[in-house]
Amino acid sequence: MKACLVAGMALLGTLPARAQTTIEFWHAMSGALEERVNELADKFNKSQSEFVLHPVGKGSYDEVVNGMIAAYRAKQHPAIVQVNERGFLTMLSSGATIPAAELVAKAGYKIDWSNFIAPVATYYSKDGTMMAMPFNSSSPILFYNADHFKAAGYDKPAATWPELEAQLYAINKKGISKCAMVFPGDWEWSFLENYSAIEDIPYATKRNGFDGLGAEYVFNKTKLVGHMERVKKFLDDGILELAGQGINPAQLFIGGQCSTIIQSTAGHAAVEAGAKFNWSATFLPTEKDSPAKNSTIGGAALWTLKGHKDEVYKGVAAFYNFLGNVSTQVWWHQATGYVPVTQAAYDAAKSQGYYKDHPTREIAILQLSRGTPSDNSRGFRLGNSAQANIAIKEEIQAGLLGQKPIQKAMDDAVSRGNDVLRQFEKVNAGKY
Amino acid sequence: MPANIELQRLDGGLSRRRPALPARLLSRVTPRASERGLKQSAFDNRPLAYLLLAPQLTALLFFFFIPAFRGLIQAFQLTDPFGGSTQWVGLDNLAALMHSAPYWASVRATLVFTIALSVTTLGIALIFAFAAHHVLRGQSVYKTFLLIPYAIAPAISGIVWAFLFNPAIGPVANLIHSAGISWDPNRYPGHAMTLVVLASAWKQISYNFLFLIAGLLAVPKSVLEAAAVDGAGPVRRFVSIALPMLTPTLFFLVVVNFVYGFFETFAVVDATTKGGPAGATTTLVYKVYLDGFVSLDLGASAAQSIILMALALMLTIVQFRFVEQRVKYSV
Repeated sequence: MKACLVAGMALLGTLPARAQTTIEFWHAMSGALEERVNELADKFNKSQSEFVLHPVGKGSYDEVVNGMIAAYRAKQHPAIVQVNERGFLTMLSSGATIPAAELVAKAGYKIDWSNFIAPVATYYSKDGTMMAMPFNSSSPILFYNADHFKAAGYDKPAATWPELEAQLYAINKKGISKCAMVFPGDWEWSFLENYSAIEDIPYATKRNGFDGLGAEYVFNKTKLVGHMERVKKFLDDGILELAGQGINPAQLFIGGQCSTIIQSTAGHAAVEAGAKFNWSATFLPTEKDSPAKNSTIGGAALWTLKGHKDEVYKGVAAFYNFLGNVSTQVWWHQATGYVPVTQAAYDAAKSQGYYKDHPTREIAILQLSRGTPSDNSRGFRLGNSAQANIAIKEEIQAGLLGQKPIQKAMDDAVSRGNDVLRQFEKVNAGKY
Repeated sequence: MPANIELQRLDGGLSRRRPALPARLLSRVTPRASERGLKQSAFDNRPLAYLLLAPQLTALLFFFFIPAFRGLIQAFQLTDPFGGSTQWVGLDNLAALMHSAPYWASVRATLVFTIALSVTTLGIALIFAFAAHHVLRGQSVYKTFLLIPYAIAPAISGIVWAFLFNPAIGPVANLIHSAGISWDPNRYPGHAMTLVVLASAWKQISYNFLFLIAGLLAVPKSVLEAAAVDGAGPVRRFVSIALPMLTPTLFFLVVVNFVYGFFETFAVVDATTKGGPAGATTTLVYKVYLDGFVSLDLGASAAQSIILMALALMLTIVQFRFVEQRVKYSV
C-alpha cells in the first residue's frame, strides 16, 4: 500500500513536463456531461501553457459537497468545486471561499459581470458581487411525445394547467399511453419552486430569503396547495407515474412509455440521443390568467476554496476568464443543453441561426428572461436547502400518496422546513 | 464526519464479529484461573500478550475508539459542516430527537423491518435446511446455490430487486400486476417495506441456512433413528427432535438477524427505496446517513449514532450473557 503510494507520487511528479501549476477541479457531472467537462478542461489546457486544469468527477452533487467538506477539514481540498445552486448559502457562510469576482479582478482579468443574464447573476451574487462562477445553468421545461399528442388529436400541449389536464386525461382515456406524465425526481424544483416563481406567489418570507436568515417557508398558504391537490388527483387517476428507484424518470419518457415530462433543459442531450419518436418541448404550463413570471435556475456554480498558493489562484482566474468567453459559452451551451449564462453568448448563438435548427434549446432561456423578476421569482436564498427539501418532499409525498390531507401535509412540510431554517440561522448567527 | 459512518459500520460489524475472540480467550482462561485462584492471569508472559494484541488494538483505536469518541463529542455540539463554528448545546440534539416525529417513525419502521426480516429469514431458512437435510442426491449443489446470495454485494442485490419489482418495467412486478394486485413500492409504504424485507432476507437466508444445516448435522443420528423405528415421520422427527436441539442455534440466529436488521441494511435501502415513499423505509441507520451526509446536520446524526451504539452494546451483552452461555455442544 505504502509502496504503491510512493510509486504513485513519483509518477505524478514526473508528469508535468514544464513547471506547470495543477488546478484540481471537483465536479458532479457524470455520463455524457462528464465527457464534456473533460473536453472543456482539454480546451483550456491547450489554450495556454502555464496551468493544467485537472477535473475529477466525485459523484452526485451531494457526494461532491460531502467529499469537499471532508477534504477541507483535512486540508486536502481542491481549488475549484462545483456546488449546486441550492448550496449557495451554505457555501457563502462557510467562510471557506473566495468571491469569484474578487479573484478574477486580482489576477487582472476583466469579466463583464453585468452581461450575465439576470436570473443567474441574482442567484450567485451578494451585494452586487459575483460570489461563484456560474457554470451549468438550466431551467425546467415541458418535453412531450408529439406522436402521442397527435394521436389524441392535439398539435401540442396546451399552455395552461387546466387545458393540459384535459389533454393528459384524453391521452390516458384513449389508451394512447398508460403514462401521460412521469413525475421527475427533482420535483421540488419544478413543481414547487418554479411553480411559485412563475405564478408570482411567495415561497418563503423575506423575499424568499434574500433579505436575511430569518426567512420562513409560507408555501402552505398559497395556491401551491391547489397545485399539489391537482398532482394528487393525477396520481390517483393514473395520469402521473412515479418512476421510483432503479430507473430514471427521463428514461420512461425517452423509451416512449410516458407522454410528457417536466425536466431540466439539460435533458436535451439524452432525449436527442435516445428518443425514437417525434418529440418536442415547450414552456412550463401556467395557471389560467397567470402573471407568467420568469422561471428560476437550477444547476451549479464553481466555488473557489481558500488555502492554496497564489499561482493556483492565478490559474483559477484564468480558467474562469476562459469559461466566460463567448466562444466557450456557446460551445458549452450547444454541447450540453445548459443555457448560455451571458447575454453575449446567447446573442452569438442566435446570430449563428442555432435556434432555427434547435428551437427547443431556446425555450429555457426565453422562459428564464421572461418579464421583470419579482420578489417571488428572483430566486431562493434559503439555508440548508438540501436538508429542508428532504423534509419538505417527505411530508408532501405523504400527502400525495394519501397518508394525510394535502393541506396537513403542506403545513407539516412548512413546519419541518422552518426547523431546518432556524437551525441554520442559529449556526450562522451574525455571519450574513 | 467520516467518523459517523465508520462508527456505524464498525459497531455493526463489531457486535457480530467481536464475540469470537473474547469468548475464545475466556474459555481458555477461566478454567486455569479457577485452578490457581481468580486474580491470577493465565498468561505468564504479559509483554507478549500485549504484543499479540497490539495490531488488533491499534485497528480498534483508529477505526473505532477515536471515531466513537469524536462522535460522542459531536452529539453535544452544533457545528457548521466546514468546522468553522462550533457551539456546545448540551443535550439539545438528543432532546430534539426525542421530540422528532420523523425519528420515532424511523424507530417504528426499523422495528417492523427487523421483526419481519427475522421471521421471514428464519422461517424460510428452516424450510430450506429441513429440505436440504433430506435431499439424497446433489445435496452439495443445492447447498452451494443456497449460499450464493451471501456472496453478492448488498448494493447490487438491492438494485436487482428494485429493478425486478419496478412497477413500470420490472418483470416480477408485471406478474404481480397480471394477478390483479396494484403493486407499486413507489406509492404504497407497505409494498416498499415488503420489498426491502425481501431483498434483505434473500441475502440473510444463506447465513441462517448455513448455521441451521450445521446444527442439523450435529443432531445425533441414533436419536433420530430411534424415533424412526418408533414410527415418527420426517416432519415429526424434525419438529419434535431436531428443532428443540436447535434452540441455541435459533436463539443465536435471532440475535444475529436483529443486529443485521438494525445496523447493516444501509445498502439495500439505498438501492431499493432510498428510504421512501414518504420516509416509510427510512431505518435508523439510513437516517443517520441522510441527516449526516445528505443534510450535513452533524449534531443530529452523531446523536443518533450514539443511540445506535448503545443499542449495539446492549445486543452484544445479550449475546454474551444468554446466547454464548446456552450453547451446548454436547447432547
